Amino acid sequence: MIEILGVHKSFGSLEVLRGVSLEVAAGEVVVVLGPSGSGKSTLLRTINHLEKVDRGFITIDGRLIGYRKRGGKLHELKEREILKQRKDIGFVFQNFNLFPHLTALENVAEAADLASARQFLDRVGLGDRAGSYPRQLSGGQQQRVAIARALATQPKVVLFDEPTSALDPELVGEVLDVLRDLARSGTTMVVVTHEIGFAREVADRIVFMDQGVIVEQGTPAEVLDNPAHDRTRAFLSKVL
Amino acid sequence: MASPGTLTLVSTKDEDPASLPVVPARHPWRWVGVAFVLVLVAQFVHGLVTNPAWDWPTFARYFTAQSILTAVGTTVLLTVLGTALGFALGVVVAVLRMSRSPFLRAVGWTYIWAFRSIPLIVQLLFWFNISYLYQRLSLGVPFGPELVSFETIELISPMGAAVLGLALHQAAYAAEIVRSGVVSVDRGQLEAAAALGIPRLRQFRRIVLPQAMRSILPNAANEVISLFKGTSVVSVMAIGELFYQVQVIYGRNARVVALLMVATVWYIVLTTLLSIGQHYVERHFARGDRR
Repeated sequence: MIEILGVHKSFGSLEVLRGVSLEVAAGEVVVVLGPSGSGKSTLLRTINHLEKVDRGFITIDGRLIGYRKRGGKLHELKEREILKQRKDIGFVFQNFNLFPHLTALENVAEAADLASARQFLDRVGLGDRAGSYPRQLSGGQQQRVAIARALATQPKVVLFDEPTSALDPELVGEVLDVLRDLARSGTTMVVVTHEIGFAREVADRIVFMDQGVIVEQGTPAEVLDNPAHDRTRAFLSKVL
Repeated sequence: MASPGTLTLVSTKDEDPASLPVVPARHPWRWVGVAFVLVLVAQFVHGLVTNPAWDWPTFARYFTAQSILTAVGTTVLLTVLGTALGFALGVVVAVLRMSRSPFLRAVGWTYIWAFRSIPLIVQLLFWFNISYLYQRLSLGVPFGPELVSFETIELISPMGAAVLGLALHQAAYAAEIVRSGVVSVDRGQLEAAAALGIPRLRQFRRIVLPQAMRSILPNAANEVISLFKGTSVVSVMAIGELFYQVQVIYGRNARVVALLMVATVWYIVLTTLLSIGQHYVERHFARGDRR
């Protein structure tokens, strides 16, 4: 489904990703854990080409993202083609990034027709708030609208970049409920989060990243209860 | 023990604190200020009414005279065309200036540099006298044969030259105002639009511009109002707009003050209408910002 191969990425002299390879199968829920600055958000953003990679490549269903292979070289795609590819990849931001001048329904309808936009709002339990502007919604409701919007292009995979980090503690649950529903319905998901409890319950696989590399990965039981690596143990001892 | 500067709570033994009346803070100096300003205004109004030099009968005779109304119409037309064409071109120049292509960025930058550098009055006189420079304008192959050609003096009338000059000048300023609005929109908005695969033109029109309008509008309204009064510069080209017309009339009858007041009051009235319009347009673009 998703194949990430040898991805490197630097911001100036700072190398954020140092050769990351990862495969995600269809219907799988992968949770990425790691200390801040470990490169997990950057990795997520390279999957839908919001960040260009310096080396390595990413494919979804066998199709290269952001590039075309020709004559032994990777040629960068035109903006228009990249935009088309992104419809296959839903993205949910930490700060929601809803369009503040559009109602909840209009936000979702930017990515789909009105009738299906309504269905997606219903699916996150906000059918009755269709006419509300983002400012009139709580943080949790805003993130649920953002999830409905990300689903509206009917993507093959949905990426979540710390979807609950900007929320008040009492609002985290409603967003995690939506994620849980999605996971159960067979949506392919990659979730960057600090919610260890959620990871344990929902993830098929947990990937632990530190300093731009994947340190270890495995089932929640393996990684959380019996980590093989010192760095994983050190991180878990701080967050558990 | 209450030391100076600290608050002490009143004893509530025999008083219900919820029933204490609240006395709003008093501002006696405001009333002094109001009285002072009222006296100044009264003096000014008294002067307007009693000083015969203001010559109100002449003012009244000319304020709604046909020649003045026609001139007001010309001023409004120049403003409308200058604004519409200026902002249309300004959006294009702003887009060039913010393009990812270094070539297009340079084109946008150069346009703004050139038209901000040339004083409006100089530019207008150039357009007015363009037929001295180029007597014929033609379309054809560069350095090759001509396909069609026109007499410059027929193609560009004085009014056309005025509109052209105002619009080109306005576009440079409009471009910078539009750009300031666009850069004020949060980066996350563009990322969200890009993540949804929304085409670039639609991103700009539907996501960026409506949000940019919040900060574009007050500046744009300033520009429109300043252009509206700036049309008086066009009087150097002998176009019958408001300021030129009152000059013609007081040149004839020497009632300078009364006729300048005619122009002044018209400028005030129309600027007031623009300001009211601004209020409603701004309210429209503030939707989503109210609870």
